[in-house]
Amino acid sequence: MVQERRILYEHLDVPDINTFDVFRQYDGYKRFEKTIKEHQPEEICDMVTQSGLKGRGGAGFSTGLKWSFVPRDIEPRYLCCNADESEPGTFSNRYVLEKNPHLLIEGILICCYAMGISTAYVYIRGEFTLGKRMLDAAIEEAYRHGYLGKNILGSGFDLDVYSHPGAGAYICGEETGLIESLEGKRGQPRVKPPFPAVEGLFHKPTVVQNVETLCNLPFLMGQGVEWYTSIGRTYGDTRFDPPQSDPNTGTKLYCISGDVNKPGVYELDLGLTAEELIEVAGGVKGERVKAVIPGGSSAPILTHYELECRLDFTSLTLWKSMLGSGGIIVMNETRNIVDCLLNIMKFYAHESCGQCTPCRWGTPWVRDIVQRIADGEGRQTTIQRPRFGIAEGGRWGDTGEMEEVYEDLDLLESVANNIANVDTMTWNTICVFGIAVSWPAVSYLRKFRPEFEAAIREGKLVTLPVEEATVPPEENYAYQQRIVPRLFEAPA
Amino acid sequence: MAFIKLNDLEVEVEDGTNIIEAARQHDIEVPHYCYHPGLTRPANCRMCLVEPHVFFPPAGKVVPDRQLATGCTTTVRTAPPDRKLDGKYDFIVRTDTPRVKKAREDILEFLLVHHPLDCPVCDQAGECDLQDFSYNHGSGKSRYLEVKNVPPKKDLGPDVLLYSTRCIVCTRCIRFCDEVAGTGELGLIHRGSHDEIDIPRDHDENPLRLLDNKLAGNVVDICPVGALISKDFLFKSRPWFMKQVNSVCPGCSVGCNITVDYKEDGLYRIKPRFHEDINQHWMCDDGRLGYHYVNSEDRLQIPMKRVDGELVPTSWADALNLIVEKFSETDPESIAVIGSAQGTNEENYLLGKLAREVLKTESIGLFGREPGEEHKFPQFTIDADKNPNTRGARDMLKLGEDASLTGEALWNGIANVKVAYLVNGAPERPLDEGAKQVLEAVDFLVVQDIFESDVAQLADVVLPGVTFAEKDGSFTNAKGWVQRIHRAVDPPGEARVDWEIIQQLAKRLGGEMDYHFAGEIALEIAENVPDYQDATHQNIGAGGVNIERG
Repeated sequence: MVQERRILYEHLDVPDINTFDVFRQYDGYKRFEKTIKEHQPEEICDMVTQSGLKGRGGAGFSTGLKWSFVPRDIEPRYLCCNADESEPGTFSNRYVLEKNPHLLIEGILICCYAMGISTAYVYIRGEFTLGKRMLDAAIEEAYRHGYLGKNILGSGFDLDVYSHPGAGAYICGEETGLIESLEGKRGQPRVKPPFPAVEGLFHKPTVVQNVETLCNLPFLMGQGVEWYTSIGRTYGDTRFDPPQSDPNTGTKLYCISGDVNKPGVYELDLGLTAEELIEVAGGVKGERVKAVIPGGSSAPILTHYELECRLDFTSLTLWKSMLGSGGIIVMNETRNIVDCLLNIMKFYAHESCGQCTPCRWGTPWVRDIVQRIADGEGRQTTIQRPRFGIAEGGRWGDTGEMEEVYEDLDLLESVANNIANVDTMTWNTICVFGIAVSWPAVSYLRKFRPEFEAAIREGKLVTLPVEEATVPPEENYAYQQRIVPRLFEAPA
Repeated sequence: MAFIKLNDLEVEVEDGTNIIEAARQHDIEVPHYCYHPGLTRPANCRMCLVEPHVFFPPAGKVVPDRQLATGCTTTVRTAPPDRKLDGKYDFIVRTDTPRVKKAREDILEFLLVHHPLDCPVCDQAGECDLQDFSYNHGSGKSRYLEVKNVPPKKDLGPDVLLYSTRCIVCTRCIRFCDEVAGTGELGLIHRGSHDEIDIPRDHDENPLRLLDNKLAGNVVDICPVGALISKDFLFKSRPWFMKQVNSVCPGCSVGCNITVDYKEDGLYRIKPRFHEDINQHWMCDDGRLGYHYVNSEDRLQIPMKRVDGELVPTSWADALNLIVEKFSETDPESIAVIGSAQGTNEENYLLGKLAREVLKTESIGLFGREPGEEHKFPQFTIDADKNPNTRGARDMLKLGEDASLTGEALWNGIANVKVAYLVNGAPERPLDEGAKQVLEAVDFLVVQDIFESDVAQLADVVLPGVTFAEKDGSFTNAKGWVQRIHRAVDPPGEARVDWEIIQQLAKRLGGEMDYHFAGEIALEIAENVPDYQDATHQNIGAGGVNIERG
């Protein structure tokens, strides 16, 4: 049985850890003090690169690499802490903000010291009223104790931290959407390049980091790179492991919800398999697992055949899915996949910012098609194709067997693929919201096609038994393609 | 200069050019909606996707990039020698691969799902990018079965209507108001598929601010579909029934390049035409909507003479003979000739020639519209001088910078003359009391005008001239650009082109003038007027000639 490894969440349950004094008793700010005493900013960046820390917000981009893109000669530079945690199924940042906000401030301090940043913004999801209150109180305390403001601890390092509430838009969790929103504009993602690291907030170099990523920094600096890289599963014990060159180190706050006996946030080593994770969360509620969403609702779904998949940033990419924000939703045999997809598509159709064409008009279209299928009004025709084409010597009237064609399923897949193509992993949209729409839609459809067909055939939602509802591995596009990781292979 | 491979062409383009422009320079169309060369590039329509090629180290060769890129935001730059693709190219891009074509078709499908397809009653039909690109790049069938969004039609301002159903939310209009006009009246409301362009409104939907600035009409031009519609042109004509000529706006001394859309029965519409140094892509609403006087029923159509204090119609022969008679019997020093800043260079040149060589008088003045207000916008200026050719008229009549259109100097100059020949040609030109007194004191006043204006009311003989839309010639704007105007419609009634009237008069007075078309006069101007040596009609072309640049 896998054990939890609590690092970020170690002192989460200590009473009054949100106050400065209690936080101090548990090493609070000491790691920051050690950092500015012992390390030059450049050293910190090197350490972060060596640690292999990946951004925990969703994309899993190497934090050290991102920092290296920030030009050092342009002043001012900014840090935006992304606390707009709004991916359905994700709720880990929230507890940091509500229970241990000083940890975030310490992470911000280290990041800003390393990057020579003197202004940081924390963009908090509007619904996190308690979290914002706690963070504001912590910021005030930090100012009072000289850990924020001018000339911190006599080091000559200045830092101001501001918290800013969002207004409830999912897209403002996208880094450039967040920046636009922070600038007081409509929350619409920007065209990249230029990336925020080069031109971000107020057209200045900006580091955008998730709460969880920043919270990793104090521990990384406090206990060193070696310790940090030792965390995380070693590879090589399953057939489908990513190369060693791209390690997934550290812990991840997995938010497990859905049909498990003990849902909640679990801090575990990166690289656990989905099976193990469900076990940690008390096992599946009900009879068996039907499907697992591995990384928030925007991630392609995993069938029960794919539970041996490691839940880390690299492996899931090979499985044509993603870890995303680590919001894992487990579904048991009672769940109807068409219904689940409808629920998710309603969310995305509502949250599309409407900036670019495919997403603006494609997302509601996808939702409408799924709605139609769920309402039992999906289109289906029976056709009789010629047994042979004319070229093969076939003749009129020489017809084959009756064939069921589910037009709406083909339409659904085609429309979703036109927003962002699942097979080529490309998107026609400005931001990756297009992926968040099309990948679930296509993966649910392809992996649970029998259930979609049943809904059309029967004219109502039909929940099939797990085995019947799931496409067998040999027909599963992701399962088939995972062994040949296209990303690491040179095309012919 | 960057050396790029564009499809199969090897071309050189300037650094910083985007793919759309680079392709346009070589007659390759990259369809686009949100991109406009005069505005910023949000890349939101996704129509201009092209396929850049990159070096892929594992394969050791140049391959198509994984993602398509938007042609509007992808710019080409000279690459350092070690980063050249295939050893020589700075950039390789294709606009014709199956992937690109598929992407275009997909985007068009999305653009049309909520579009009402009401082309039969749409003003834009025939000049609509949505139609054209659907025709060239779209799919023939629709797969959309769901209910379409039907956002409301909106009245945005004095001249602009918004048919929201047709809108593709490219935000060109919003960006225009923000960037060029600097007024920012327009914005997006709602979110996602319910995005709508709108003006600020209170909770009861009453407008707080209208799209009411002097550049508002431009949003209609830049709208790639039929969403923004000019009330002035609404349901007036199908675009393909109109003919079009290039011209120059006669509204002020900026001299915006325009196109005049006309039919047999008059002008229908004026639109700006691109000129890099003068008006870029824009023009003001004063010029755009100020053409109606050309079509007016009240235009002077026949010469008139004063009989017993009343102006009565007469024939050209009679009117001209009467003038010739008066000119001949008057001492040259008592004759004044007043040119018009509304007239072309050619007319004013002939008028100056008439005055100096035929009438032998040096009393030459210049008349024009009263100065108005100057309006400055972040990227556009409307001049205070409301005449298109003040500078040209001064040059042609050999008047100094101080030659006054109004005020003391002009009226002092003609205070003591017995016979005056005044050319007006302005749509409206009110006279103050002092000016009226001076003109009333003139024994015999000849006015050449287009309306029964204040000056024409005082005249003894009125000659019907023509507007900018009925004649050929050139205007010189305040910055020294000599530009062509072209005849679109025929003069009303018996009205004649102004330079022909002047030539008739000169001939009857014994002068030697024998021009057959305005270009001939321009050739003579090029020989005789300093700085105008290049300003022949042949040289001017569509882009104009600047006399300041030599």
